[in-house]
Amino acid sequence: MAGEVREKTGTAADRRLGWVNRQLVAVAVGSVAIVVVAATLQLSFGAYPVSPLGAWRVLADAEVLLSAAAWRAFLLGGRVPDYGTATLVVWTIRLPRVLVALLVGANLAVSGAVLQAITRNELASPFVLGVSSGAGLAVLLTVVVFTGLLPLLPLFAAVGGGIAFLLVYAIAWQGGTNPVRLVLAGVIVSSVFGSVQTGLFLLIEDIGLVQSVVAWTTGSLVGTDWAQVRMLLPWSVAAVGASLLGARELNVLTLGEETAASLGLSVERVRFLLSGVAVLAAATSVAAAGIVGFVGLVVPHIVRRSVGTDHKRLLVGCVFAGPALMLAADAGARLALSPAQIPVGIVTGLLGGPYFLYLMRKHGDFGGFR
Amino acid sequence: MTDGRGTDRPAGDGVLAAEDLVLRYPESDAPVIDGATHAFPEGRVTALVGPNGSGKSTLLRGLAGRLAPRAGTVTLRGRPLDDYGDRERARELARLPQEPTAPDGITVEELAYHGRYPHRGFLDTVDDADVAAVDRALRLVGIDRLRDRPLADLSGGQRRLAWVAMVLAQDADVLLLDEPTTFLDLRHQLAVMDVVRTLREDDETTVVLVLHDIEQAARYADEMVVLGDGQIHAHGVPREVLMPELLADVFGVEASVERGRFGPRLTMIGSADR
Repeated sequence: MAGEVREKTGTAADRRLGWVNRQLVAVAVGSVAIVVVAATLQLSFGAYPVSPLGAWRVLADAEVLLSAAAWRAFLLGGRVPDYGTATLVVWTIRLPRVLVALLVGANLAVSGAVLQAITRNELASPFVLGVSSGAGLAVLLTVVVFTGLLPLLPLFAAVGGGIAFLLVYAIAWQGGTNPVRLVLAGVIVSSVFGSVQTGLFLLIEDIGLVQSVVAWTTGSLVGTDWAQVRMLLPWSVAAVGASLLGARELNVLTLGEETAASLGLSVERVRFLLSGVAVLAAATSVAAAGIVGFVGLVVPHIVRRSVGTDHKRLLVGCVFAGPALMLAADAGARLALSPAQIPVGIVTGLLGGPYFLYLMRKHGDFGGFR
Repeated sequence: MTDGRGTDRPAGDGVLAAEDLVLRYPESDAPVIDGATHAFPEGRVTALVGPNGSGKSTLLRGLAGRLAPRAGTVTLRGRPLDDYGDRERARELARLPQEPTAPDGITVEELAYHGRYPHRGFLDTVDDADVAAVDRALRLVGIDRLRDRPLADLSGGQRRLAWVAMVLAQDADVLLLDEPTTFLDLRHQLAVMDVVRTLREDDETTVVLVLHDIEQAARYADEMVVLGDGQIHAHGVPREVLMPELLADVFGVEASVERGRFGPRLTMIGSADR
């Protein structure tokens, strides 16, 4: 902060890595530590207990780690070679759940950070801008009306999220958009979609189905396996990579539309493209894990408070902190009431709500970028 | 109408020109600028003055391409402004909005580097030209020693200077400044206007700025453009433009104008319609 005194800036080369500061390293190291602890818990505890050390030893098992057949099964689908029970439990049941949590966390955090920059509103998130409700409605419609298409559920979620966001953008568009109109349009679309969603609940007759749908709409990683990893991975890499490439554009956008435009940024185009990236990230995680609230809202906040508003730092910080929060929350969701599991979205909601309350109490001016 | 053409330097062609420009905001029907034609001479400082609501800021927005004309054209170096790509235009023409906002925690130096945005390709990293331009901008504005300070910690005047530094780092030949001195204390007003003068003298930058203070405009500008009711009422050298009749007509004040050491001095007598 203010006390920091730096040598006069030297050459351009000195500046290239200058954006990696102490706070960012601290966020990364802290997040990795949380991930290691939470992953150890997730890999070792459960119906088939493995010792913490044993779990890591199984992960480091050269027989799996270096086996082309095993990786083919994991990454392309197919039959997993015959291994011992411990190996199978760790590699095919627990590890994929850990990986899905990491990917979902990164996607939601990055998506939230991008949407907050685009709308210049710290309260923006995939949830506020309608992406989550669109995906949720698509899921319900699939379950209740188009039951034959259940295997395509994740795909429908993504399409629904995209449509909802396009709708939000279209409503907000009046020869251009502005942050306030975008958020208001998000509220409109979310509440309409939410109502339809709740209405559809009443049409489901099978109580078991209602329960699994409710679990989905609150966000759950129960039963995820390598199929979800396969689905998430390419989209996550694409979305996170694209948003990192757009970091400078995001920085310029946070100076406000007027300034950004006079600096030569094509405001509408950049805003639309980056929104698309954010929707992709969010919808992919909804497809895999349902509607997990607060991660997209809270993680960018926590990271911004420590690394500042520069988006290169912020996004990289989110790539570390998002997975850490998500994995820790999922460990809590799976192990707190063991053997019963609760949806991870309930845990993130329980953590995120009070955090937000704390922020609200501490900062009167909280809510805008100024 | 005053049409002063006799200046101490031969006026170049208009680097930035408006022709029969009509500007209007989407939400209202009445045009704010209703048919303005003016060529802003290269390497000169032109001040836009006029009463509140006369369309000064709107004209500036139109000149910057931020408001699509309802009729008429804006040309930059003889080429319609619409023809320029966004970045290409920003390399030639920079504009400082009236009350820009920045995110919390951004430092003076980080802000100045944003001025380099139009000069950097999509994946380009910072190069030596960027470093040199930012260093020069910060030095010129005189806030070099504040470069690592967060903008939020500075006084209003210092903050405005930081924004001016950002616009200077943009390294454009034409600079549009919207009320750069409003709300500043005297010392910072002088600092901003001295930067404008330096730019004119050292870089031959074309500066168009909106000023509230007519005396200030008269003192620093080579040329004044007086706006009233969305039209250009008069333009020319300050000492020829600033006449009691014009002040009565456009500003509605009765004032006497004397020749001061640094340009015309106004003494307000009262409201003109009394």
